[in-house]
Amino acid sequence: MTEIVKIQGVQKRFGKVPALRNVNFTVNAGEVVGFIGPNGAGKSTTIRILLGIIQRDAGHAEIFGKDVWKDSLEIHRRISYVPGDVTLWGNLTGGEIIDLFLQLHGGGDKKRRDYLINRFELDPKKKAKGYSKGNRQKVALIAALSVDSDLYIFDEPTSGLDPLMEAIFQEEVEKLKKAGKSILLSSHILSEVERLADKVVIIRQGEIVETGTLDELRHLTRSTVTVVTKGDVSEIGEMNGVYDFQQKDNQATFSVDHKHFDSILLKASQLGVKRFEAVPPTLEDMFMRHYEG
Amino acid sequence: MKEKFARWHTLFFLYVKRDWKKIIIWILGVGLFSAGFVPAFVEIGKGQGIAAMYETLKNPAMIAMVGPTPAESAQDYTLGAMYAHEMLLFCGLIAMIISALHVVSHTRKEEDLGVTELLRSFQIGRQANSLAVMAEVFLINVILAGFITGVMVSFGADTITAEGSLLFGASIGFAGVLGAAIALVMSQLIPVSSGATGSALGIIGLLYIIRAGTDISNVSLSMLNPFGWTYLTYPFTENNWHLLGFILLFSILLVVIAFALEGARDMGAGYLPVREGRAHAKKSLLSVRGLFIKINKGVIIGWSIAFVLMGASYGSIYGDMQAFLSSNEMMKQMFTHAGTTIEESFTATITMVMMGLVAILPIAVVNKLYAEEHRLHLSQLFATKVSRSQFYWTTIILAIVTGVVGTVLASGSLGATAISTIGDSDTMGFSEFLTAGFNFLPSVLFFIGLAAMALGWAPKLGKLVYIYLVYSFLLNYFSNILDLPEWLFKTAVQSWIPQMPMEEFDALIFFTLTIISIALLFIGHIGYRRRDLT
Repeated sequence: MTEIVKIQGVQKRFGKVPALRNVNFTVNAGEVVGFIGPNGAGKSTTIRILLGIIQRDAGHAEIFGKDVWKDSLEIHRRISYVPGDVTLWGNLTGGEIIDLFLQLHGGGDKKRRDYLINRFELDPKKKAKGYSKGNRQKVALIAALSVDSDLYIFDEPTSGLDPLMEAIFQEEVEKLKKAGKSILLSSHILSEVERLADKVVIIRQGEIVETGTLDELRHLTRSTVTVVTKGDVSEIGEMNGVYDFQQKDNQATFSVDHKHFDSILLKASQLGVKRFEAVPPTLEDMFMRHYEG
Repeated sequence: MKEKFARWHTLFFLYVKRDWKKIIIWILGVGLFSAGFVPAFVEIGKGQGIAAMYETLKNPAMIAMVGPTPAESAQDYTLGAMYAHEMLLFCGLIAMIISALHVVSHTRKEEDLGVTELLRSFQIGRQANSLAVMAEVFLINVILAGFITGVMVSFGADTITAEGSLLFGASIGFAGVLGAAIALVMSQLIPVSSGATGSALGIIGLLYIIRAGTDISNVSLSMLNPFGWTYLTYPFTENNWHLLGFILLFSILLVVIAFALEGARDMGAGYLPVREGRAHAKKSLLSVRGLFIKINKGVIIGWSIAFVLMGASYGSIYGDMQAFLSSNEMMKQMFTHAGTTIEESFTATITMVMMGLVAILPIAVVNKLYAEEHRLHLSQLFATKVSRSQFYWTTIILAIVTGVVGTVLASGSLGATAISTIGDSDTMGFSEFLTAGFNFLPSVLFFIGLAAMALGWAPKLGKLVYIYLVYSFLLNYFSNILDLPEWLFKTAVQSWIPQMPMEEFDALIFFTLTIISIALLFIGHIGYRRRDLT
């Protein structure tokens, strides 16, 4: 697999404050990588370093095998970027700004542009100062999606969009995914990441704390089990690998380390299972664990 | 190297397209103001006009304002010499300020807004934007210079030669380029656009005031001042073209420095240390008054320093006045004849000029309330138990306090430095300077009243108060120079007030103006309580 984005040991300080301590991850060709972490963890800083907007203090960062700082222009030819907080020139219309962005990117498909303007229901004739946050966001999205790039970088792209528009954005990203494009998606909307991402990278306090596919990450965490037994359910509560045990009559709810699943199942069947439900952790659960540390 | 500026021309054309209305107003406005007074000067110059003007402008107060002339006698003082003498310095100053504002608005301001971040994700060089803006400003100033030349020549006035006109226009255009270069450097150093604007204007103001002092004491010292290279070109008389070369070289040097600074910093960062803020609010912040003081703190401190420097530098001129008089028999007679001293006359003129500038700060404080409202900073506060009246009157009182403090600082530092440079001080006492300043306080109140009216009834018009201030400032500034009809002169509020200590205090006008201003404050209050907030 070709590595489209490769970051190794990247560090960045702002004055005395370390923003990034040690960032490592890769985005492979055709992969959608969800980049998540609490506010101030260093997501946007990492993205800005990737874009060659700010300079890293240490480490390696490459896109398409080229250095992100030295060869940024070369790289920009083949990427699209949408920031989370889009500001536009108030006295130009949305349509004018989109055309300008397409021209600055070099190329861009007019038909696709019109199709997207239509899909996102943007009024391109309005001056940008009259746009709401969501509409400003649409301008940047349309501009980024209208051009043919190999890597798309989205930094909280749907902030301010309504759920309908969010869904349209997700559909468009899925199309890109099918077309084999690489995508780095930073987002707080975990359902969005869960739906789109092949791989998740979690950053906390400037360090990558977890990387892997959703399945891999799930194995590291616990599932929530609800069980109703004929016998005394409280016996389960004393077993290894069981946490947060709560009992009500013969019904118990608890979380289980995945490696202990086998012994729990054995025990439960000894007690006589009336009902057994296991819910895998959502990204949200995993996320909360990392957020809360 | 080429990479850094990649596709700057795309941004350049974008700016020209985005700004074309502004550019037209800029060139027409500054151009007509600079070149359009030729017929008026022809009128003034009729008969003994030119000779009389020559003598008037030898007054140190006038030199401090408009600069020196190379003409040795009234015979050398042609129409062209007079026009350049009275107009060039001021027009150059305006061109500098407008260019500086423009550069900051397209560099640091766009960075503040976040537009730069998006632009840099395209194939745009990291420094392409700065180059594009400088190219735009350069182009605008070149056109401006050509326009001024054309207009001046078109009047076909005697001694307004083509060469002189070209140098006059070019001096103004180059002044604009210099202002732009200064602003580009400050945009790199200071990480917020308001700070970059303020410091750029501060430097320009400082250069202007320093040259006022050196023009009176020793003109050759003004040649060391970059600002001096604009008006010491002396169009129509000496035609010192080489000074434009100095400006160009100096500007290129500044631009190179700015590019180096920009290349070495991160987007959004500056070179001034960022201090860590406090985790909890100080008690002094925890009130409407505390909050308003805090959000106006930068402007208040900045202008206060400016007032002190302004007063001190004008005050330092007093020491040279007696020497100046003894070398000029004609001036000596003029003052003896008028029954005032040269110091009193200078104080009167300079105080009026300074008080015009002192009025800027209170207007800024009043306009700030709407600016904050407009940026939705106050939305959450409007939903609290704090009443509108509280917002309004806190702002107004803060504005009045800054007006009073500004007066004390400007007149006080003028008086203090003046007295210390005169030495034997039986000529003027410290209190006379303060009295002269406070005599103009009603005019400051009047401007606060106008700003308050705008705030209450039509907040978008708040900027017009500045325009009226500039208008009346210009009328006062040029009142001694241009032969204006009395009624036109009276449209400037300061013109109603007698110029102390040269003229007598007029209690009737002082109190009438104060009462009118207070009435405006209350009318503004009614509007502010009733209108829709954003």
